[in-house]
Amino acid sequence: MKLLALALILAATTPFVAGAQETGLLTDEQILLKRVMEDKRSVYAASLALSDPESRAFWPIYDEYEAKVKTLDDRFLNLVNHFAAEYDTLSDAEAADMLKEKMDIEKERMALKQSYTHRIAKAIPPKKALRYAQVETRIENIVRRDVYSLIPLAH
Amino acid sequence: MNKTFVALAALAACAVAGPLAAQSTNAEDQALLSQIQTDKRAIVLKGLQLTDSESAAFIPIYDEYEAERKQLADRTIALLDKFAANYESMTDEAARGILKDWVSLEDSRLELTKKYAKRFEKVLSASKVLRFVQIENKLDTAVEMEAVRVIPLAKP
Repeated sequence: MKLLALALILAATTPFVAGAQETGLLTDEQILLKRVMEDKRSVYAASLALSDPESRAFWPIYDEYEAKVKTLDDRFLNLVNHFAAEYDTLSDAEAADMLKEKMDIEKERMALKQSYTHRIAKAIPPKKALRYAQVETRIENIVRRDVYSLIPLAH
Repeated sequence: MNKTFVALAALAACAVAGPLAAQSTNAEDQALLSQIQTDKRAIVLKGLQLTDSESAAFIPIYDEYEAERKQLADRTIALLDKFAANYESMTDEAARGILKDWVSLEDSRLELTKKYAKRFEKVLSASKVLRFVQIENKLDTAVEMEAVRVIPLAKP
């Protein structure tokens, strides 16, 4: 159940429908997640107050970024599921592999963030790009806090 | 930008480093930040549940790690000061520079964690290093949430 909640939170941070099907989430939960995802978009829309030309420049880049982040979220979800499955009998070799995978995911996430922040700052006024990054960080922190609270510390 | 902003910004930096990070705050804030840093060390050590021999191997490396985090905290303070100084009349150039520095800072923080995780793996089991990274992530997120909450969004 905890992992299902975790899957919900993770999926809620990205375009989710295809991923939700892959992870076996139920239809009702997919609907819930779709709503959360739409809410995230509406938060950005309200916060950034983009003009029509800015919107046309911003949203395709945003959607591309979110789609790529989604693949990293899926990897992280797999990692957490693996951690949960092996939790009581986690070997040192498995822990080392998990640690490496966690770092690799974070590194790729950071590379994406650098690349897309740069692109967004070229597509819309840099002040709005900065504002976008601030809102994104707030959302990320809320998600991270909730996700971390669900994952027990390694033995 | 008021005093609360600077204090909380320093608090965020403190999670990344040490009491000296609070140079732009007053003595009272520095005392508070120093206490938080001490508490963080205690939380990490308690959370790891190390044996005496593990502690003896871990603590010197951990202190090096915290010293390097202090440098990142200085960069965080500088970045927040820059944001505060430009807040009312942010130019495109300033916003672009702040964004670039911010992403670079996050990348440096990640690289530092990676670097020290490898060093910790030489003296602790991988499970305990994994536990350490989990604790760090939780603490960083908790403190950053508090700091970010009081930093206003850039004016659109």
